[in-house]
Amino acid sequence: MSQFKTTPKFDGQCALILHRPHPVVDAITRQLTQLGVRYQTHWPELPADLDAAAFNHLFYDADMGHDGQFPWAPGKAPMLSIALIGSEAPGRLAWAIRLGADAHLLKPIGSGGIFAALVIASQAFESRAAQAAELSDLRERLAGRQVLAEATACLMMLDNISADAAYERLRRTAMTERKSIEAMALQIVEQLRSGHVRTDRA
Amino acid sequence: MTSSLQTVPVGVLFSTSGPYAALGREGLAGAMLAIAEINADDQYGLKLAAQVRDPRGSTEQYAAMAADIVGTTGARHILGCTTSWSRKEVIPVLEKSATMLWYSCPYEGFEAHDQVIYLGACPNQHILPLLAFALPRFGTNGYLVGSNYIWGWETNRIARDIIEAAGGPVAGERYVPLGDVDIGRIIEEIRTKRPAFVVNTLIGPSSYAFLAAYHALGQADQTFSQDVRPVLSCNFAESEVAQLGAVAAGQYAISPYFQSLATPENRRFLDTAKQFAPDAVHISAFFAQAYAAVHLLAAGLAGAGTDATDAVREATKFVSMTAPFGPIEIDDATNHAVLTPRIARAVVGGFDIVSDMETAIRPDPYLAYSPVAVASDPAAPSPRVSHLRVIK
Repeated sequence: MSQFKTTPKFDGQCALILHRPHPVVDAITRQLTQLGVRYQTHWPELPADLDAAAFNHLFYDADMGHDGQFPWAPGKAPMLSIALIGSEAPGRLAWAIRLGADAHLLKPIGSGGIFAALVIASQAFESRAAQAAELSDLRERLAGRQVLAEATACLMMLDNISADAAYERLRRTAMTERKSIEAMALQIVEQLRSGHVRTDRA
Repeated sequence: MTSSLQTVPVGVLFSTSGPYAALGREGLAGAMLAIAEINADDQYGLKLAAQVRDPRGSTEQYAAMAADIVGTTGARHILGCTTSWSRKEVIPVLEKSATMLWYSCPYEGFEAHDQVIYLGACPNQHILPLLAFALPRFGTNGYLVGSNYIWGWETNRIARDIIEAAGGPVAGERYVPLGDVDIGRIIEEIRTKRPAFVVNTLIGPSSYAFLAAYHALGQADQTFSQDVRPVLSCNFAESEVAQLGAVAAGQYAISPYFQSLATPENRRFLDTAKQFAPDAVHISAFFAQAYAAVHLLAAGLAGAGTDATDAVREATKFVSMTAPFGPIEIDDATNHAVLTPRIARAVVGGFDIVSDMETAIRPDPYLAYSPVAVASDPAAPSPRVSHLRVIK
């Protein structure tokens, strides 16, 4: 019935709440306590020296919020973020999205909703982080493709061998030196450019 | 709001027909017994005027009837609901009208509403201790069967979680529409898969049909008798055992209350029942917890001196009271009762208690703290036990 093989747990985690003192905050803290989540509340801004690594969740006010409240750039929150929305005015929603909402809660907040928001936001945050890591890896590889082609071409000309043999030599050298093939290619190209040519003729 | 507490209107909202009528009738009888008892003496210095409505098992009726109770009688407190569907239907009415629901049935958890007092067990008080009992005794490959709604889905999801953590596998998982009695395919699958036990979260006629067919299988093949591959349940009532006879015998059930509980408070309660409700022969947790809910409400009303919900809820948390199943405490963080689970085995006509942990377990409706796994040492105490006041 569900993709959760195990029951989602938040016991022992810590949340930041960025909202002025209000019944909304009381409703959130009551539910966090039921889930075993500790919390800190701040207003009007998060401390500049905040130890972000100590926190797992951020609840932020989308009604009165602005970029200057956070010690990080919009969209760069190092923890999952849940927007607390009163006004559904498009301008406010645009800001909440730009801040990087992984989930949202509509005010007023009653006796439920925090668990669902945390579960949904955790999934969104994890998949966002995994996608960002994959994207950065792919970008790196894409950038490496040109230098890979250049290194292969250099080895072909230098040793008068086929493209396949040049690539194989590059691959084996990378393995011997315990480097990624892209890093090995870059090293060879840079050595060639500086005149220090060394290839494995073995 | 009632300024003088001489007579307080209270809603009573149970279904006495439909797929879970047996449980609804028990809840109604338990609530009405407590109301009759409270009105007959002066122990709380007030009387309760029951405003009874019967949604007849129709989920759509619950919100309308709750609104009718609130709108026409001035009641600020409603006892009732059996299924989670019906409770979820009633909650918006509670929120709009500052009304409190006293919910007395076991349910699947993942809720802790400010305007609901939960007297029944949540998963860390039912399916977790039930499987902690069963897995070391019968094996880990359990079969899960349930009615096709949230109680079955979620209780079985937790059971699957525990079974897989213990090495499993889950032998099978099947759902039956509410009221459906066509379970031949499920029995055939059980016969093929030969699970160590069956977790039964079916309700009403589906459950009875399943137990009858499983009993027939056990008669035809002794290796499927309940002595070898038992059925486990978190919501089976004494009246159902009596109704089914030999067909239900041998299955295990977990509950904070069984009629056979041999304690002074239960003997007193059964005497009271005999006096005020002589027709109530089979008394289950659904009955006893609805009864306890009314007493807790009356004590809360007396303590608060008003029927305003916030005041009554807070007063309830300071009530020292002994329910038929032991001392009662409402957890401040979750509005759920601290309960002591007992495990019993059905015999013809009732339940024999086979394991009484005698340890109250604090409610953990979101399973925030409870390990969703069976301890390698089944004798190890739960780390989240309660420290109840001893009430003489």
